[in-house]
Amino acid sequence: MRCSIISRAAEAAALAALLALASPVARADSIALKAPRAFGYVIGDTLTLEAVITLDPGAQIDPASLPQPRKVSSWLNLVATELTPDAAGHLRLSLTYQTFFSPLEPRTLEIPAWPLTIRQGDARRTLTVPAFAFVTTPLRELVASQGGNPMALQPDIAPRPFPLGGEWRRAGLAAAMAGFGAFGFALASGWRPFARHPRPFAAAARALRRQGDPGTPEAYRAALLSLHRGFDATSGRRLLAEDIGAFVRQSPRFAERESDIARLFAASRTAFFGAGAELAMVQLPPAEVVAIAARLARTEARDRGPAAAPALEEAAS
Amino acid sequence: MTLPPSVSLDPARRRWLGRRILRLALALVTLGALAALMVESLRIGAHMRDNATIAALAGGRDAPVTADAPARVLLARAHFLMVRDRLDEAQPLVDLLARKGDADIAVAGLYDMGNARLARAIDHLERSQIDPAVPEVRLAKAAYRAALTREPGFWNAKYNLDVAQRLVRDFPEIDRDPKDDPKQAPKRVWTDLPGLPKGLP
Repeated sequence: MRCSIISRAAEAAALAALLALASPVARADSIALKAPRAFGYVIGDTLTLEAVITLDPGAQIDPASLPQPRKVSSWLNLVATELTPDAAGHLRLSLTYQTFFSPLEPRTLEIPAWPLTIRQGDARRTLTVPAFAFVTTPLRELVASQGGNPMALQPDIAPRPFPLGGEWRRAGLAAAMAGFGAFGFALASGWRPFARHPRPFAAAARALRRQGDPGTPEAYRAALLSLHRGFDATSGRRLLAEDIGAFVRQSPRFAERESDIARLFAASRTAFFGAGAELAMVQLPPAEVVAIAARLARTEARDRGPAAAPALEEAAS
Repeated sequence: MTLPPSVSLDPARRRWLGRRILRLALALVTLGALAALMVESLRIGAHMRDNATIAALAGGRDAPVTADAPARVLLARAHFLMVRDRLDEAQPLVDLLARKGDADIAVAGLYDMGNARLARAIDHLERSQIDPAVPEVRLAKAAYRAALTREPGFWNAKYNLDVAQRLVRDFPEIDRDPKDDPKQAPKRVWTDLPGLPKGLP
């Protein structure tokens, strides 16, 4: 459907004809309606008219004359409008209507024409989006042939609870990821029971931490003994003060702790073979024993290096 | 076997650093997953509370619902009131739903409200009370139209709106002869009530 409209007063038309003679390139505005099917609509249906508008160069649609979504009549709503330029330089005005007419038999309804105001400089003219007729049909029989109650309504939409499937799935996924992450972290950290290597110093430090400050001579001696067991387990033999140099060469990561180790063995010698635990506690305060144990555990957690564990690539850190 | 520290430390140091990075990444993954788990748990908890309210209302026990409750809960309360013929209390909830974002729930609320109004109107008509029926039909039509505007393909709303339209027709301008002088022609807005199912003499 195509209609070309120039609406002017008669003298203006004559003037336009003269101008057209003078400049043969001047175009007329035109509007072409791309209509949907014109039949088979029922109550509540929407139909979208698309008007392809071609304007003279320099001409513009007055924005105030564009239709706005509104109630057009008691049975027709304009629900959406959209004006978009297309690639070919035309304007596309799309108008979506919704019919609420409930006919008793098929009948033709008309969407009214809509005048658009075109401005060109100071001149104004009207370009009309043409009317569109369509056939609307009843949804139901006029008289129920099957008997039954013609007033029977379709049922309510019952309120439904929130569906929780998606949330449970996401929560399960998050829990699984947290579990795997924590497991991997424990594995990479060498936490018990995932430790690949025995960590005697870590065990000793943990035991000391649990007991608190070994303030009494008995506790002090026990603390020293548990650290001695740590040295024995790390070096693989009973370690005496004379062997510290060999121990450090065997496990080079303990080189930085050599002075700590020497102080520990000196205190141990005093406690077990010398003047006794009380003097040793002055020589090396109990808090210092705990601190040395913690430092040794940290050093132990460091990579063992090829000297201590040549076969094990993945030493627990 | 004894190696000088400088030789043995280098690859060891690298492995140690690599494991630090691995541990950091694993810790971040774990913390992120725990945060997501917490968010989901809170959401599940809130939804389960809401579902309990919805189930109570559906089971016929009234439960207090505030205006800022989720749309589903508002719909449940509105429906509870509708089926008990407390339409004046249900209407503000439906208006609230229509303003809120969730289109599906708004459509359900408007449609159910239309059904409640229309059922009440039909009830009036069956007892030959025409005057109170007409405004109810109009309100029902407005509700169905609002539902259809949001969801044009909603067939049950189309059907029930059609029932309402046939109860009370109000298309003055389409039934008017355009040749009539509008000032001369009597205002032909009328309501007609075809085929009442029962209750008429």
